[in-house]
Amino acid sequence: MNQSTPFLGRFAWRTLLVLLYLFLLAPIIIVFIISFDTRQYLAFPPESYSFGSYAKVFANPTFISAFGRSLIIGLVVGLGAVAAGMLLSLSLARHEFRGKGSVNFLILAPFLVPHIVLAVGIMLVMAPIGLLDTYAGIIIAHLGITIPYTVRTIMMSLMSVDRRVEEAALVHGASPAMVFWRITLPLVSPGLIAGGVIAFLISFDEATISLFIVSVRTSTLPTEIFHYLEYSTDPQIAALSVILILISVGVVIAVERLIGLRRAL
Amino acid sequence: MNPAARSADGSRRVLLMLLLPGLVALGVTFVLPLLWLFRASFASSAIGAFSGGDWTLSSYETVLTDPFYWLVAWNTLVLGFNVAVFTVILSYPIALFLARTESRWRGVLTALAVAPLLTSSVVRTYGWMVILGDQGVINSTLQALSLTDGVVRLTNNSFGATVALIEIFMPYAILAMLSGFGRLNTQLEEAAAMLGANRLKVFTRIILPLSLPGVLTAALLVFVLAISAFVTPRLMGGGRVFVLGTEVYNEATVTLNWPLAAALSVLLLVLFSSVIVIYQRALRALEA
Amino acid sequence: MVDHHVEIEQLVKTYPGAQKPSVDRVSFSLPRGEMLALLGPSGCGKTTILRMIAGLIAPTSGAIRIDGRDVSAIPVHKRNMGMVFQSYALFPHMTVARNVSFGLEMRKVGKTEIEERVKKALDLVKLTGLGERKVSQLSGGQQQRAAIARSLVIEPELLLLDEPLSNLDAKLRDEMRDEIREIQARTGVTAIFVTHDQDEALSMADRLAVMSNGRLEQIGTPREIFDRPQTDFVATFIGAGNFFSGKVREPGVAEVEGLGELRFSGEAPTGSSVKLMVRPHRLVLDGTGAAGVNRFSGTVEHIVYRGQTLTLTVRCGTQRLQADLPTHAGVLPEKGGEITLAVAPEDVTFIEKAAA
Ligand SMILES: Nc1ncnc2c1ncn2[C@@H]1O[C@H](COP(=O)(O)OP(=O)(O)O)[C@@H](O)[C@H]1O
Ligand SMILES: [Mg+2]
Repeated sequence: MNQSTPFLGRFAWRTLLVLLYLFLLAPIIIVFIISFDTRQYLAFPPESYSFGSYAKVFANPTFISAFGRSLIIGLVVGLGAVAAGMLLSLSLARHEFRGKGSVNFLILAPFLVPHIVLAVGIMLVMAPIGLLDTYAGIIIAHLGITIPYTVRTIMMSLMSVDRRVEEAALVHGASPAMVFWRITLPLVSPGLIAGGVIAFLISFDEATISLFIVSVRTSTLPTEIFHYLEYSTDPQIAALSVILILISVGVVIAVERLIGLRRAL
Repeated sequence: MNPAARSADGSRRVLLMLLLPGLVALGVTFVLPLLWLFRASFASSAIGAFSGGDWTLSSYETVLTDPFYWLVAWNTLVLGFNVAVFTVILSYPIALFLARTESRWRGVLTALAVAPLLTSSVVRTYGWMVILGDQGVINSTLQALSLTDGVVRLTNNSFGATVALIEIFMPYAILAMLSGFGRLNTQLEEAAAMLGANRLKVFTRIILPLSLPGVLTAALLVFVLAISAFVTPRLMGGGRVFVLGTEVYNEATVTLNWPLAAALSVLLLVLFSSVIVIYQRALRALEA
Repeated sequence: MVDHHVEIEQLVKTYPGAQKPSVDRVSFSLPRGEMLALLGPSGCGKTTILRMIAGLIAPTSGAIRIDGRDVSAIPVHKRNMGMVFQSYALFPHMTVARNVSFGLEMRKVGKTEIEERVKKALDLVKLTGLGERKVSQLSGGQQQRAAIARSLVIEPELLLLDEPLSNLDAKLRDEMRDEIREIQARTGVTAIFVTHDQDEALSMADRLAVMSNGRLEQIGTPREIFDRPQTDFVATFIGAGNFFSGKVREPGVAEVEGLGELRFSGEAPTGSSVKLMVRPHRLVLDGTGAAGVNRFSGTVEHIVYRGQTLTLTVRCGTQRLQADLPTHAGVLPEKGGEITLAVAPEDVTFIEKAAA
């Protein structure tokens, strides 16, 4: 059918697609350009280019420490969400029990509730027990929103593991624990890694819930950026944004290289 | 005890150990918060709510009698509607292209279309502040071309918030459409074309009906995401866009009126659920 | 009793929620070194029996004994069984050698001994030198061999094979059929293999256990099963046959309606109704005129040429007979021609447990 398309129609269609892609990627492209502007204030187009904004970001103790916290929180959340997700997935994929439907619902439910509503609720729960603005508080909150994702990716991996392979290991002398360590775990590892990466990225980029829970002590990078943007839009934020984007893309590319993302997702 | 019973018993214990950590985490971050939220919305002060405090309807009274909150609810719906409609319109061509193309760039282009998801919405909102701001890309360009003398206000209003939200939700819409476009394939179109359908007919008779379920799912998804957004409306609105999300944040962190924040959240949740229910009813009615 | 290596007694399995048992009071036993085929149509419970023996599922009732010892309390990983799965179920993340050594590692066998035994097992199944390959780099037949090596290397009490040939193409199937038989004979391992293919069962097994609907129909040597089926099911499931209902007039002679007198072997009381069967290839063109032989004259209705044989449909009285004649048998009959077929009484089988 493409052959018979009149040239003009095809040209218009391609142009439309290019424009839409440009719109979709515009903020990222613009942020990238602005981050190299030498000036101290937001303006376009940049006068001249330099790494000045990047230097300022690295010299900014607020951003650096928030970045460190975000990293730690993201890593702990990634690991925790994978561990909890693995256990939940195992119980759902390998066991029959009463109330399985409810557990399934409970795991999917956080997808069905706006994060801002959860944020207020979590804040209300954590306030009286002193979890607000603590690592424990923010990590637990992020676990709640990331576990549904890890369960999903790990479940998919687990479903693709042939039960006969596990049975073959059992028959040939592996105890159930051995089957788990030597067979099941290695076979679902792509799902584990993918789930962990997703959980890390969600935690690392998350602003809504964090804004309700953290304050000065455990502010994360997204919350710091949010508060900064309430007053200023200077190119420092652009540089920081580029760094954030590069980290996310870097993590994804690393995973892709390591295990192949298509297989992992 | 016979071995079968013993193993059943053991597996019950294993099961419990498997379920416990995740369920505790979800309980603490999902079940308890929703219960507390509900309870706090009926309390006169947040502190009292947790230790046998009073029950009062005053927060709901405020929400339902103050015209400001009616305006907020209306703003939220309008924002959600606008964002949903435009996001779907702008995402549809991309999704259609990605679903039908046989280009070897398909993988790359799909990745490119959803890659923005890897970027914090705070960062992308910042990008739009740069583009639409008073000294931003558009205003600078307009002035450089002498098309305007003054500044065209594109931020600190709901226009800016709408544009940014559209872009931020496009990857979600594209993904939802792609998974809803399952039955689309070029063979079907070729068959229709061979049977004498012209391009417009192929589109209206084949492509559109087959892609409609994906489109409707995407619209609903974007709508519910948009009515609960707050980071983008807050930053793009510069404090001048009042939607439920921004007001919840305001009451929770600035005014510290937690019962009111809770009541507004409950209102948002009700709005959210009713939209989903009504939409699905309507869809089913449409199909029947 | 003592010389029975494996004994299955009154084994029953009713899956949770199922209306009727999938395996219903099945009993049989194997002497050491025997290869038994469990044969039956798909869904008759063969795999279920194998999985109960392996310990992957628990029987609802009944006993499984090895060397006289009940194994039902022994968990699956301590039963020391070898099992070759229909889909091979090789560990996809391990090399061939690691697959084979897996059972030995689980048994904490020393490293050097593992190496030795893995090499021997790979040699046995003709995978010499392929140990470092990934499983995905093996062909279907090679995967099958690897799965067999993995099971044999642990010197299992019993080798269980579930439809081992069903995933191979026809040519490979014939090759592996001989090979499995040879490996089993060489190692002397007691083996049970499941199949729904009668040729496979007849050609590979020392004995066959024919199953239908969860019940054991008949157990015996391939010859016994083929030539002396005891039930309708076995008679119809295995090979083709001409079936006749008749009444016993005197010992060894039955009156078949529309055909006449039919002499048969086997003992049936005079006056009783019997079901008789004649295999098509037992019918011959009557040239001898010998006495004491059953003879039927009729018209050839239909001829199918099958290379080595000719399958005729012959109308004799009100009955239709099917006969397989060798194509080298001199003058061949033609469609519409009149012929006389003969069959010896010992080739007319009396089906003992036929439903009346
Ligand atoms: N896990 C199970 N749960 C319930 N029913 C089963 C299960 N496995 C097999 N069955 C039933 O038991 C019967 C026998 O199955 P199976 O032993 O697999 O037959 P075969 O191997 O002879 O084809 C079938 O009717 C099948 O549907
Ligand atoms: Mg089977």
